[in-house]
Amino acid sequence: MNTKINKQFDIEQPIATVWASLANPEEIVTCVPGAAITEKVDDRNYKGEVVTKFGPIKAAYAGDIEIVELDESNYKMTLKGRGLDSKGKGSADMIMNGVLTEQDGKTHVDFTMDITIIGMLAQFGSRLINDVSDQLLNQFVDNFRNKLAGNEPTEGEADNSLNAGKLAGTVVKSMLGGMFKGGK
Amino acid sequence: MIQCKTSKEIGGMGHSKKRKEDARFIQGKGNYVDDVKLPGMLHMDIVRSPYAYAKIKNIDASKALEIPGVIAVVTGKDLEQYNLHWMPTLMSDTQMVLPTDTVMYQAQEVCAVIATDRYAARDGKEAVRVDYEPMKPVMDPFKALDEEAPVLRSDKEGKEDNHIWHWEVGDKEKTDDVFENADITVSQQMHIPRIHVASIETCGCVAAYNKVENHLTMYMTTQAPHAIRTVIALVAGHVGLTEEKIRVISPDIGGGFGGKVPVYPGYVIAIAVSFLTGAPVKWVEDRSENLQADSFARDYHITAEMAGTKDGKIQATRFKVLADHGYTDASANPSKFPTGLFSIGTGSYDYGAAYMEADAVYTNKPPGGVAYRCSFRVTEAVHAIERLTDVFAREVGKDPAQLRMDNFIKKEQFPWPSPTGWLYDSGDYHAGLQKAMDAVGYDELREEQLRLRAEGKFMGIGISTFTEVVGAGPSKDFDILGVKMFDSAEIRVHPTGKAIARFGTKSQGQGHETTYAQIVAEELGIPMEHIQIEEGDTDTAPYGLGTYASRSTPTAGAAAAMAARKLRDKAKKIAAYLLEVSEQDLEWEPGKFFVKGAPEKSKTIQEIVFASYTNHPPGMEAGFEATHYYDPPNLTFPSGAYICVVDIDPETCAIKIRRFVAIDDCGNIINPMIVQGQVHGGLTQGLAPAMFEELIYDEAGNILNGTFMDYLVPTAVESPNWETGHTVTPAPHHPIGAKGVGESPTVGAPPAIVNAIVDAVSHLGIKHLEIPVTPYKLYKELKAVGYFDEE
Repeated sequence: MNTKINKQFDIEQPIATVWASLANPEEIVTCVPGAAITEKVDDRNYKGEVVTKFGPIKAAYAGDIEIVELDESNYKMTLKGRGLDSKGKGSADMIMNGVLTEQDGKTHVDFTMDITIIGMLAQFGSRLINDVSDQLLNQFVDNFRNKLAGNEPTEGEADNSLNAGKLAGTVVKSMLGGMFKGGK
Repeated sequence: MIQCKTSKEIGGMGHSKKRKEDARFIQGKGNYVDDVKLPGMLHMDIVRSPYAYAKIKNIDASKALEIPGVIAVVTGKDLEQYNLHWMPTLMSDTQMVLPTDTVMYQAQEVCAVIATDRYAARDGKEAVRVDYEPMKPVMDPFKALDEEAPVLRSDKEGKEDNHIWHWEVGDKEKTDDVFENADITVSQQMHIPRIHVASIETCGCVAAYNKVENHLTMYMTTQAPHAIRTVIALVAGHVGLTEEKIRVISPDIGGGFGGKVPVYPGYVIAIAVSFLTGAPVKWVEDRSENLQADSFARDYHITAEMAGTKDGKIQATRFKVLADHGYTDASANPSKFPTGLFSIGTGSYDYGAAYMEADAVYTNKPPGGVAYRCSFRVTEAVHAIERLTDVFAREVGKDPAQLRMDNFIKKEQFPWPSPTGWLYDSGDYHAGLQKAMDAVGYDELREEQLRLRAEGKFMGIGISTFTEVVGAGPSKDFDILGVKMFDSAEIRVHPTGKAIARFGTKSQGQGHETTYAQIVAEELGIPMEHIQIEEGDTDTAPYGLGTYASRSTPTAGAAAAMAARKLRDKAKKIAAYLLEVSEQDLEWEPGKFFVKGAPEKSKTIQEIVFASYTNHPPGMEAGFEATHYYDPPNLTFPSGAYICVVDIDPETCAIKIRRFVAIDDCGNIINPMIVQGQVHGGLTQGLAPAMFEELIYDEAGNILNGTFMDYLVPTAVESPNWETGHTVTPAPHHPIGAKGVGESPTVGAPPAIVNAIVDAVSHLGIKHLEIPVTPYKLYKELKAVGYFDEE
């Protein structure tokens, strides 16, 4: 199944600061709920994993992230990710396009993700994927804001686990709290 | 009301006897395949593909084999050594048992895990790692025929496209000619979506091969045990398993609906593993496996056209079908009928020109094409003609009830030859529709509809007047893999006058243990309580082709009557001997022979049977047993007139069925209560595709509703109050005049419901709605015609 997710938000930080953080996969991944980078292959290629839960389905994907475009002068980036379900139950592909624009000293972030999911998760979780993704993205935005504002968690790790409180009220129950380490 | 010839004590035809089998079912004492537990039994679970189309690069079973209890992981390569990796389908296509290199649909079997218990098997399944190289699947049947579409069945030598077969019937030239010269022609594109039988019991088996005896006992969820035995013998003969060494037992079945006719790979793998290990092997699917991998039903894309006069006389119909069969043609049709009995689609109307054609294609979807509670593609045909008739009625500006009345075949025209080659046996369509219209208050409803429309409310009335074709079938046309589609009954009456009767059919909830007993009771006068019915064991039952397509009563039911009549003839001879009169002097009344004019001189059937064992006439064979194989001279043609009334919320588009009147004509009725139960269940399974059910696939080949969370099976909550009734037009060629009823409601209900919904919004310019008609679909159509703009 295909799903397209667009997210726009403003951050009260200069564009250069936001870009520096966003353009560094190892840094940004600490803000992505359930995600970790496991290996840096080269400047453009990384290996990573994502664990998340959609309703009754827990999905763990391991795969490759490629920085396809990193245009600092226009603050545009394109990422490509391809992950295989760790239990062989399918795969997920993602293309993410992000653009930063400066607005009155603030930074406007606009990104779009095209996600294609094949396998068990598509079968069982299709109704939930947009809702859950939206929750995850909101959490990402919060984490990202906190990170840029210097509010690092006390243990020295970004809290990029799924936040059960945030998800309460949706059909999804989180079970990932505290399971993931940020990329180091 | 129904006239009964027998007393209530005898309980022959027409008595609403309670079902004998229910005693065990309502007490949880049924015996299903999953209840079978044998010593040393192994358990099998199946690893399935997440991809719709992919190369298998590697199967790594090492982690699975480390799990305690897991003893083997069987792959296609393992089966290939015994040439068991492919098997034939009922339609002479080929289907993988397990793949050696390529998977063709999501949820296809990839390999099987064998373990000492079910939990270990499931754990093992989770631990098997399969590397795939995904390919872009072909999901759209129309695109499957494009030049650039990949050839899916590259395993077939010389195959250059995804086309399976072309079929046609009728007189094309004559039909085209009528269309060219007709006042009015209408055309409607419609899709009868892919759905699933979703029986409560999933499929499964216990394969028990005894190495010492070289004997296989196969406990199996099958609607056709004898046919399966023959298929196993044909497939496994080369490894030394011959038909006398195979016993197929079909125990209690929790719903079949056509889905338990095919041979699924799981059965074959279980047999192979049992053959190799010498241990019994159990395989039982879970719900999602059943829904995602077992045979689908329907999936016909139809262009339906009708030509007629401007005053509403139907003159011709033309149907063009594209059939999506998934990756193999695993339909369960009689061999000569690739589209089943779709050609019944000319309907209940008197006209002489029709032409139908169909093409089948391969896609990356599960195989199937089963006759889901319908006699081989009759549901598709009836939906097309009944929807089309409404489109035509609207075009000529006639009330759909009146247009039907004007076009029906008249009762005195039967037997009526249809333009596609059937000989309709009997019917009284005018009486049926009139009865339904009277029951629902048709004229008043039309007036109410006008009033409600003036108030901006949506109310619709939909009609479906269908003719079915069931009871396959006469041996000149009907066979499965060459075996003619007769069916059989064997009656043994014990010395004390109690009987056991065995059949080649197999009940899956139809109530055979009751209705067959009533047929024998009707003919012999032995109380039905004392007639034990057995089916489903190939070692004891006479050969028959099984239960599906409403064929049990038309074939095996007839065989029961014929076998009983053989016994009655014998009884007459014995009675004449005992009473010392000639046979001509005897008269029969249910339960006894008496001397004409001297009714006190009589012998009861029980006395006669006892004599057949204790004092049989010289020169006569002792005992009281008979067998009959019934080869029907024609099919039977049940009919029905259904009227549905819906109210639709103009804001939420919620659809509520206010009334549903179903008048069925299934000929003579064996048990009115069972008929009513069948009709209730069938109507609910007709409501399902009309408003709820559809297997949905995306472009990547994912099934998007592979669980009961998303695949919406209607329950009692969604079902309206079904109002049932009947007319009785006996089948003239059938021994007891019965026609079969199990499937009529499933076939007849969807167009009645959709016609009602379309009727409710037709004044806004909506001419057609595709099933399932959901509130959201209706909302989109209303939005498209600008309805919400005006609000």
